[in-house]
Parts: sequence; C-alpha cells; structure tokens
Amino acid sequence: MGDKDKFELENRNEDPMNYAPSVSDWGFGGANLTNTSIGLVPKVNPMAVSKGDLIGSSSCSSTSMVDAFGPTIWDHHTNSENLGFCDNGVQKNTSDTFGIRKGDPVALRSIDKTFDMGWNPTSSMLKGDIFLPNAPAMLPQRLPQFPADSAFIERAARFSCFNGGNFSDMFNPFAVPESMGLYSGAGGVMQGTQEAFAGSGLKSVSGGQSKKNEPSVGEVSKDVSLSVEHGAAGGSPPKDERSQSHVRSHDESKQRSGGSGNDSDEAELSGAGDQDEPSVLEGAGREPFAKGLDSRKRKRNGQDAKLDPAKGAAQQSGECAKDKTEIQQTGDQNPTSTTNRSSGKHGKQGSQASDPPKEEYIHVRARRGQATNSHSLAERVRREKISERMKFLQDLVPGCSKVTGKAVMLDEIINYVQSLQRQVEFLSMKLATVNPRLDFNVEGLLAKDILPSRVATSSTLGFSPDIPMAYPPLHPSQRGLIQAGLPGMGSSSDLLQRTIHSQLTSMAGGFKEPTQLPNVWDDELHNVIQMSYGTSAPSNTQDEDGSLPSGQMKVEL
Amino acid sequence: MISKGATRNSNSRRVKFARRFVSALLHMRNRNPRPGSLSIEGVRTKSQRIKIAAYLSMAHAVGSRRAWSRAVLSKLGSRARRHMSRMGRSSLGSLKKKRVIRSYSPGELGQAKKLRQLVPGGKTMDICSLLEETAHYITCLATQVKVMQTLADNFSK
Repeated sequence: MGDKDKFELENRNEDPMNYAPSVSDWGFGGANLTNTSIGLVPKVNPMAVSKGDLIGSSSCSSTSMVDAFGPTIWDHHTNSENLGFCDNGVQKNTSDTFGIRKGDPVALRSIDKTFDMGWNPTSSMLKGDIFLPNAPAMLPQRLPQFPADSAFIERAARFSCFNGGNFSDMFNPFAVPESMGLYSGAGGVMQGTQEAFAGSGLKSVSGGQSKKNEPSVGEVSKDVSLSVEHGAAGGSPPKDERSQSHVRSHDESKQRSGGSGNDSDEAELSGAGDQDEPSVLEGAGREPFAKGLDSRKRKRNGQDAKLDPAKGAAQQSGECAKDKTEIQQTGDQNPTSTTNRSSGKHGKQGSQASDPPKEEYIHVRARRGQATNSHSLAERVRREKISERMKFLQDLVPGCSKVTGKAVMLDEIINYVQSLQRQVEFLSMKLATVNPRLDFNVEGLLAKDILPSRVATSSTLGFSPDIPMAYPPLHPSQRGLIQAGLPGMGSSSDLLQRTIHSQLTSMAGGFKEPTQLPNVWDDELHNVIQMSYGTSAPSNTQDEDGSLPSGQMKVEL
Repeated sequence: MISKGATRNSNSRRVKFARRFVSALLHMRNRNPRPGSLSIEGVRTKSQRIKIAAYLSMAHAVGSRRAWSRAVLSKLGSRARRHMSRMGRSSLGSLKKKRVIRSYSPGELGQAKKLRQLVPGGKTMDICSLLEETAHYITCLATQVKVMQTLADNFSK
C-alpha cells in the first residue's frame, strides 16, 4: 500500500498521473467515463507521429524555416543574379546583382560603389532580370526614370515586409528599365513593383523587398548611410552623382519598409514611366531617399540630418505634378511609418519573425494596412506563432480538420489528450491482469511493435470504440464491467460465456473498468474467482468482467 | 525529407519505448512471482505501476529534449521516487517548482488551464510552448497507446 499511497499522494499533487487520468479518474471517480470522446482510435496514422517529430523540431524549424526562407533566398538570389547579370562592374560586388543595363557601365559602376556595402545582399534579390530593352536610349534619361525609381523605392520599402514575396513577380520585365538598371536593386524592385502592383503583387514585391532589406536592415543600414555619404561626397560627374543620388533614393525607399500606403507607390510607379525632368526626378529621388533614411533610422539617426536637406531640395523640384504629388504622398506616409517603425522594434523585416544571422533581434515588418506599433507587431508575431501551432495540432488530432476557431479546437485537443490518457490507463489495467502470462517471446513482440502498420488493428478498433460504448450501459446499470474490446458487445451473459469458454480471447475481456471495480466487485469478485479459478487463471478476470448480472450468473455457472 | 526523418525518429522512439516498457513489465513480473495478483487491490496497484512504467519509458525514449518529458522524468523518475519514499510527501512538495499560471490571451478561457493540467510540465509554460509541447505529447501518447495495445493483444492471445 505504501507505493500506492505515495502514488495517490502524488496524484493529488499534480502527479504526472494527472496528465493521463485526472485525479478523479485515478480515484475511481468514474465521472469521466461519460466524457469520453467518441471515436478516438488509438491508432494514429504514422503521419501524425511523424508530425510529432516535426513538432519536436518545430521549435527550431518553425522559425528556422521562416528564417531560412529569407536569408537563403537572398543568398540564392545573390549567387544566381550575380552570375547572370552583372557584367558591368556591378558584378564586382557579388551580391550586387542589379539588373544593370549593360549599356551603362559607368553609371553602374558608380552605383556599385554606392551600393556595395549596403546592398550586396539586397541587390542580389533584385536579380538582374531587369534588363531594360531600351537601355541604351535610356541612359541619358536616367533621371526620367527616377520618379519611377523613387516610387519604386518607396514601394519596395513598403513591401519589404511582406514575407515570402515572389521574386518572380518582382522581376517581370518592365518598361521602367533604365532606372532599374541604374539602381540595380532598386531598379529590379521597381519593375517588380510595377507589375506586382498591377497584379496584386504587392506582397511579392514586399517579400522581395523584405528579403532584400533584411540583411540591409541591420548593418546594411549602416552601409547605406555610408553609401549615401559616399555618393554625396563623390565628385563624380553629375550623371554619376545623379545616378548615385537616385540610387540612394532607391536604396532609401527600399530600405524604408513602410507598411503603409502602397497605393501611392503604385501611382507613382505608373507615373514613373513618364519621362520627367531630371530635376523632378532628382527631387523625387531625393525625397524618398531622405525618407528612406529616416525609416531606416535606428542606426542612422545622424543621417537624417543629411537627408532632410535633400528632402527639401527634392521637394522644391517639381516639374511633374503627378510625380510630385505622388512622391509627396509617399513622403507623407513614410515619415509616419518611419517614426512608428523606428520607435518600434529594431529594423523589422518580414511579417514573419525571421532571424538573419547577423541580427540579434527578431525582425518583424508591418504589413500593409497594419499598425506599426512595436507592441502590436510583437503581438502579431505571437498570434501567428500560436495559430501556426494550432494548425499543426489540428492535423494531429483526428477529426479536427473541419473545426475552426481556437476555442473549439482547444476543446477537441483537451478531449483527445484525456482520451489518450484514459486509454493508457485502461491498457495498463489490462496488462496488469494479463501480465502473469508474460512468458512470451519478447523480441517477437518487439518486432511486431516495430512494424509501422498496426498489427492488431481489429483489436485496436474494437478497443477504443468500445470504451465509450461501454460507458453508457455501464453507468445506468452501475455495473462494474466493461467488456472493452468486444465489438459486438452483447448481453453480459453472452460475454461471460464467451470469456469463460474462450479463455483469453483477443477481446480485451480482462479489462476492468477501474472506477467501477471497487464499487461493484468486492464480493462477487471473490466468488467468481474461486469458482472459475479452475478453468484458467486469466479467465478469472474475464469472468469478473463478464458477470454483469453480477455473481448470480457465475454462481449458476 | 522531413517526414522521413520524422518517421525515423518516431520509429526509434517507438522501439525505445517498447523495449523499456517490456523490460519494466518483465521486471515487475519477476518481482512478484505469484502474489495473488488477481485481487482487485493487487490489480490496481499493478496497473498503477504499469502506467507509471509506461509514462517513464516514454519519457526516457523521448529524452530530455522536451519540457514535458523532463517534467515526467523529474516527477516519476527513480530518483524522485526514492526521494519521496525517504523523505515523505513534504519533500516532494518542496521539489515542485513554482507554478506560474500565465494567461496571456484572455480569449482562452479555462481551456488553457485544463491543458496545462493535462500535459506534464504545462503549468509553467506560456501558451505558445504549451501548444507545441501538447502536439509532441499527443504523438508520443499515441505511440504509447499503440505499443501497449499491441502488447496487451499479444499477451492475451
């Protein structure tokens, strides 16, 4: 009794036994019998088990997969793109695979310089797909594309938070071209953004952006600032300067992962196609540029000062009213988003919680139309994690595919766990009665266990459904017998005869309902045992179970 | 593929559990040669021991990777039992770690509480990890039930 007492004590003290059966179960409360969830088959398909393993590693995998998605894509893109496109000097920065036009080596190189540090990873994302067919003609007109670029940049910034963006969407060949080439990363995004916008590719664009920006968020931001400075300080020809500034602006807009007002970006992009005055473009470029810097803020507080003048200058230019307004719109939006974001978490990226290797934080990017408060972002991440886990559980628990809603799902999960624990208890009881016959070939049993398919499916199926089935008749009759495992459980007398004559059959005849036992069996049990002891030891238990009409039938027998 | 690895893991887990559990059963059988185990009390005690052995075996098969298995091992482990027998119930109370029942999401009602009671070690977990542990626990319970069912069927034949 000592052990038993201790165990019972443990139960009261939330012993692990509570995990399986509740205390009431343990204490033969029997009340739980009525609660059994029906139809729980102990047989869980192997997939579930494998899923469990998945879950086992899910702690790392769930995030790692997400995380891996970003960085790997980036890395992948970087490699592929670099090889493909950078023939101008861009290639030198392996990562900078801007879709730079071949026809603009000078500009490209200058751009490369600026982008080098910061945009290596990001540029790769952009993929140099952006070969604009009219590149040569566009060369001198780089500026015209600027508005598009700026808009593009802003958009890129906005979309950067979309995770899993399809890069393919981004890289549809656009007419936007030149600027794209110039700004490589920015250019590519622009094209992508234009198309994406048209085709609801916002997400993809942002995804691409996010990918691009992820690495840039942290250190890259620093790099960008460096590049900005570099561009500003460089005494390159005006063209280069402009390109650089354009690039910068693109970078900025790209970096600016604002989750707001993408529509304005779209409009801007569409307007970008127009050939605008260089001055306008410049201004437009600078504006987003400044804003971009602001958005990237955390590490670059100092740069804001630099940007502001640029911003002012940009605003002053304004040939293209449409562009201007558009740009201003984005400008307006950006500061708000920027401030929100900068106040929030450090360089958020991607709506998913991704952990780029360089960063120490979990970066989350606000999606379009969502609040960018740091708290809400954190909550969003949490909610997403929880919903992801709930989905996984939904696959595990049988019969929950149609259930929607957390509350119902949780109820189902709880029921399932309780039923599994109850099954364990039943089986342990059964094994306790059967144990004396454990002379078997243990290895053979193990070999059977190893088999993935269920060997004793019939008994299994018979077992679990019977348990709930047994409960209703059990309670009303207050009979302590549960002929678990007997599929067609007939009258108790039939059962009794079967058990007695067939001795230990595959039916879980020997299975006693623990909760009922003490109440019902005390007297009859002994009688039954003594009476039927001669037949076979194991059958005693079965007899006990079968004697629903209690000892009377046994006596007759 | 992940599924392959998962299947391998599940198979090895199942095998580990089966081995440990069967050896525990054999040990128990050898310990009590013929105590008249057909008495109700005897059967109940034995079934309790078997149940504990089953949970322990599964926890050992899983290892210390999971919070719930660690909780089971600490609670039901041989050391815990020895400790319990030596020092009595009071010491076991001191062994328990402080339970912090957190309810992060108000919309969870009492379900999170119930789940915490069901899953070992769930009292000190937040909802997020609780769900994860629950999922793993469910899979392990399922394999446990399968193996025990197979054993019971084979033994009863």
